[in-house]
Amino acid sequence: MEKDFGFLETIPADPGNLIKGLQLLQATEGYISNEGIRAAAKYFNRPEADVEGVVSFYAQFKRVKPGKFQISVCDGTACHLKGAPLIHEWLRQELDLRPGETAPDGVFSLETVACLGCCSLAPVMSVNGRVHGKLDRKTMMKILKEYAAK
Amino acid sequence: MSIEFFLDGKPVTAEAGQTIMDVARANGINIPGLCGEKRISKTTSCFVCVVKDKKTGKFLPSCSAMPARGQEIEVTTPEVLDMRRTALNLLLSEHNGDCEAPCTLACPAHAAVEEYVRAAGNGNFEEALKIIKERIPMPITVGRVCPRFCEKQCRRNIDGEPVAINEFKRLAADMCYDSFMEELPELTGKSVAVVGGGPAGISAAYYLRRMGIKPVIFEKMPAAGGMTRYGIPEYRLPKALLDKEISHFVKMGIEFIYGRELGKDLQLDELQKDFDAVIIAIGCWQASGMRCEGEELALAGIDFLRNVVENGCVAPNPGKLLVIGGGNTAMDCLRTGIRLGSPDVTCIYRRTEAEMPAEKIEIHEAKEEGVKFQFLTAPVKLEKRDGKLILTCQQMVPGEPDASGRRKPVPQPGSEFEIAADTVIAAIGQKTAAPAGLPVDRYGCLAVKEDKVTISERLYSAGDCVSGAATVVEALASGRSAALAAAKDLLGISIAPDNPINVSRGRWQELSRDEIVVLRDDLSREPREKLDFISVEERKSTFKEVTATISQEKLAREGKRCIECSCSDKNECKLRQFAGEAGCKTDAYSGIRQSASYDVRHPQIIQDRGKCIKCGVCVKICKEVVNKSLLSLQKRGFASCIGTAFDQGFPDSCRECGECIKACPTGALDWRKKR
Amino acid sequence: MSTRNITKFKIGLASCGIAAGGEAVLAALREATDLPILEVGCIGHCYAEPIVEVCFDDGSSVMYGNVKADEKSIRNILALGTDDRFEIPEARKARESLKVLALAGRIVPTDLSDYTANGGYEGLKKALTLTPEEVINEVKISGLRGRGGGGFPTGTKWGFLAAKPGFDKTVICNADEGDPGAFMDRSLMESVPHQVLEGMLIAAYATGAGRLIIYCRAEYPLAIKHLKIAIEQINQAKLNDFGDRTVEISIKEGAGAFVCGEETALIASLEGQRGMPRFRPPFPTDRGYQDKPTMINNVETFGNIPVILREGGEVFAKTGSDGGRGTKLFALAGDLKYPGLVEVPMGTTLNEIVFEIGGADPGKVKAVQTGGPSGGCIPVELFDTPVDYDSLRSLGAIMGSGGMIVIGNDRCMVETARYFLDFTHRESCGKCTFCRVGTTRMYEILEKIVAGKGCENDLELLEDLGKKIKAGSLCGLGQTAPNPVLATLRYYRDEYLEHVNDHQCRARQCNALVDIALDKTKCIKCKLCIKTCPVNAISSDFVIDPAVCTRCNSCLDCCPKNAISRVAKGDKQ
Repeated sequence: MEKDFGFLETIPADPGNLIKGLQLLQATEGYISNEGIRAAAKYFNRPEADVEGVVSFYAQFKRVKPGKFQISVCDGTACHLKGAPLIHEWLRQELDLRPGETAPDGVFSLETVACLGCCSLAPVMSVNGRVHGKLDRKTMMKILKEYAAK
Repeated sequence: MSIEFFLDGKPVTAEAGQTIMDVARANGINIPGLCGEKRISKTTSCFVCVVKDKKTGKFLPSCSAMPARGQEIEVTTPEVLDMRRTALNLLLSEHNGDCEAPCTLACPAHAAVEEYVRAAGNGNFEEALKIIKERIPMPITVGRVCPRFCEKQCRRNIDGEPVAINEFKRLAADMCYDSFMEELPELTGKSVAVVGGGPAGISAAYYLRRMGIKPVIFEKMPAAGGMTRYGIPEYRLPKALLDKEISHFVKMGIEFIYGRELGKDLQLDELQKDFDAVIIAIGCWQASGMRCEGEELALAGIDFLRNVVENGCVAPNPGKLLVIGGGNTAMDCLRTGIRLGSPDVTCIYRRTEAEMPAEKIEIHEAKEEGVKFQFLTAPVKLEKRDGKLILTCQQMVPGEPDASGRRKPVPQPGSEFEIAADTVIAAIGQKTAAPAGLPVDRYGCLAVKEDKVTISERLYSAGDCVSGAATVVEALASGRSAALAAAKDLLGISIAPDNPINVSRGRWQELSRDEIVVLRDDLSREPREKLDFISVEERKSTFKEVTATISQEKLAREGKRCIECSCSDKNECKLRQFAGEAGCKTDAYSGIRQSASYDVRHPQIIQDRGKCIKCGVCVKICKEVVNKSLLSLQKRGFASCIGTAFDQGFPDSCRECGECIKACPTGALDWRKKR
Repeated sequence: MSTRNITKFKIGLASCGIAAGGEAVLAALREATDLPILEVGCIGHCYAEPIVEVCFDDGSSVMYGNVKADEKSIRNILALGTDDRFEIPEARKARESLKVLALAGRIVPTDLSDYTANGGYEGLKKALTLTPEEVINEVKISGLRGRGGGGFPTGTKWGFLAAKPGFDKTVICNADEGDPGAFMDRSLMESVPHQVLEGMLIAAYATGAGRLIIYCRAEYPLAIKHLKIAIEQINQAKLNDFGDRTVEISIKEGAGAFVCGEETALIASLEGQRGMPRFRPPFPTDRGYQDKPTMINNVETFGNIPVILREGGEVFAKTGSDGGRGTKLFALAGDLKYPGLVEVPMGTTLNEIVFEIGGADPGKVKAVQTGGPSGGCIPVELFDTPVDYDSLRSLGAIMGSGGMIVIGNDRCMVETARYFLDFTHRESCGKCTFCRVGTTRMYEILEKIVAGKGCENDLELLEDLGKKIKAGSLCGLGQTAPNPVLATLRYYRDEYLEHVNDHQCRARQCNALVDIALDKTKCIKCKLCIKTCPVNAISSDFVIDPAVCTRCNSCLDCCPKNAISRVAKGDKQ
């Protein structure tokens, strides 16, 4: 069945609005599919190759479907100093996930982000946009358990 | 409105709209650049074209920067050239491809292997021979005796066996040698004396004549060929064929004067008076001794072999024969001994079989013919007792690795034993017998300058007498170098040297099969074609050539086994050209390369992403000139690449106009020439 | 002491407050009281979040910090108990000079009337009484320089745009705060969105622009939300109506690319393209967004404008030093007691910021990193340096946008440099050879060094390559990317040499050069470490297998006796 991308029409079809359109696509679908690229190219009157180039340039856009809970570990300077690499190591041990991966059961996916702007609470991570600060191993495990139970 | 400014201190004028690069070009200064294209908007990506604004100290991409009034631009200062070199070095460090194929790089003569294999494989033997003779003037000989450096690096080794490269030379030469003649230029009036008629001397003379210089070869023996005649036995290189090979050089007008030996009946100062230059190519004719008591009782290997040749393969049965040494000369002595009727032939070698310098195939064939081997055995004394030769030997054990990386054999005390024999041959090695008055290096070879051929003004040297005993193909390469050096000094012509820039995907030993890039559709997966050998019985009793020349049918099949590793753009690639001109090094920076992802889904076009420099010129051409926008820059940073929508390759709407290919500075986008 | 009554509460619900659990505290407080609770922004003391301010009818207030959402804490607040009381540290009170941040955390960000009641839009009103030239002149007199990092004089930049005819011009607010470790802009937009927009409207008036665009990173959803509400309020109140034109204000979200902080890349991104910089000239003021004249300022720069207009350029210029006028916001983070957002006069020394305001332990600090991945580190020996554009540049660092990371003695400087290059080489857009390949090569060399596989030659290679990348890149990313490496090589070469020559990391941070050791004299054999170790590297008799151990520190964290520590590779304790 063909997907309906009619929601794009809430944005003016100006080629300069492509990124806005892609953000809407991702917010709606969770990621940017091939069909999504085709629809955006058509709607914003941009070559498909061009749209692919834009999508792949920005870190925000995902071309594969993410998990139910998107864990974003901040690797900003403060978080890095305060132990972001250890958080990655713990997540690898606990969920067998590396940045950019989604667990086979589709519950969690993991990414690294440059900075969530919560440096004073370092180290932090966000789950589906919700920021959790001052992480240590124990609190992180607790947070994971809470989400996994949802 | 024109603007005046300065290029390297020289006042110049820019017209409206001209970049610094445009003005430089108009003033005869060519600034290299990879990403500029007049028909598209500026890409400003490669930074190979940088120049320096003297006042601000800033480096500017000259392809994009417009000059300002009175600006002082540095274009060719060492600092600017260093920046450009670094930009190119960085691009080379991420480049994942092969400029020349590994076979060509392995060949001491740098022969265009892929090209002659393709030509001969397609049945175009004239063409193949022409390509071969660009670098190998004696293909009949080399096609038989070469140790095949090329095949050792052939990527087909990953499937077990390399392409039988040398057979292509041999068949092309056997088929077309008589009818083939080079186009020879008019003589220029210059002449060069070449001392020594072996491969190095012949090669030097050959290339001199091809450049219009008259060579005269002075040879001490009564016939030409040097070690190929007097050292290589008949069963490996029939002398009738060698005569045929040499007769071609006479046809070319090369003069051979026999029976003249330097320092005896030939004086260097006289040659220098009579000729415009002299090339010394006298080889390595002095055998090394066994360095043990009684060594004078042993025959020298090369003397033994020469004696057999001089007597037309007729010589007394040597009886029980011992040959000391593990090199190719030792193998030749052993196998010649068998053919002369010796009932018992043994090789004495102080290291293990794996460390023998002789070619594996030679060892194998010697064993087939009945040669026995005694490894880790060293002679300590040779004496004559009751009409028999008694060789006292010592058992050796492998010790610490030496300078060559091989484990140095150490004598085992009390392990001495005796072997009786009728004939003992020492085939330990050869040295240059340097004539008085010529400089020698610490190995006793003729001392040359950095170019490996120049002794002093208009005096050159080539071949074994410079390198020590080596192979025919190395001697040919060396002779060519000497000829080029002489031609440059005499005529001022300089043949462009081979581009030293050769990016490589790696040696086959370090690659997995998946990493071996195949750009042709019709690659054969068959094993290497087998050669026809004469029977072992016939081999043991006659000096007949051991293998027959490969058939045309087999060669056509074998040709399809070639992967054709080299870059389709190797002669047009701007990156390679500029890097060569800038004195770049492919290993200046090490690190990850781009992944070797190549796309051959399109029937006409290949996209080889490992060679992309991400300048995006193709993207802009397709968008701004062709008006199609089928390509885009994708991802970012080191991972950025050129791609199509959904990575589906060129869609049907591509008109194959070829504009992107024409604009690509490297071989990242190209026609599939090699199909 | 006169009796006073509680009139309302304020709770800090900027991103930092929310991340610290402020929403739960708000819910608990709502349960417990019917008095108004105002959701305000951030007062800059992020270390104390969640913060609840109790306001009295006499205008005074008290604050509670690190408030928990439990009954006991809430009861304590309502009873004005002494637990959790939060006082702004005296040293900070003395040093700080709140001008731009004066209203942050004190007003409700999305309440226009709260803003105007506290002097908001006075600056715009004042500007509209002047001619555009007079406004620009006032900005010039103030000596304000771009707060985004470049430090270009703001008034001059405005003049360039004002010189272009017509109103078809764009003023862009660069809110793509990409420096990891910086959050000044986020805090301003979340806490005082109207102040930023007021600055932008003044700029539009002064330069003759008809269009205002905020380019904000998508990682700041709360900032975007507040700005959108504020824009709606402006439209309704017609604050953007200058008589001859109504200024169109829009907000566009970035999509995650550090390089979009560069103006030509930002414009490309706004136009829906890949955010790749292009060669200048033409400069954006000649040809920018949609090929029309365009000017870009950063959030904090705009945040300063209403202050300048209100108090006048001359007064403004009295604060600060010759190296920069006015105040500067710094996002303090890292190894210090009071991480948060501070505002100090330009020229305040690093000693004052790091030790007095930040409360860092003087014996434990090695350096600060300013300017994020584009900046450099400054060793503690040079902390008497006044912080302004020119002094920092002379030390090989830059002001940048104001991120200031305090680096403790137990951090490895080589690893820190490696971290920054990891960031920049991934954020390179890939256009220029030097930046794309060069930063990758530098990163690889640093990886080699922290893995104990480097050699002394590598240091020269880093220096040579670093200088060339700076010289051979089109935009600020490449031109500054090598700074962290060059600065650490300059001040901490001995640490590099230890890594390459002795294979030692004195900070015990580089995993490849570290073992985990257990001090048997301290161990009480509780076996917590054995149970915690995720890779079963600790045997039943408490021997740690270095081949299995991933140096994840789990055992260190759980050991009740601190018997486990990181030691030099091969060392047994």
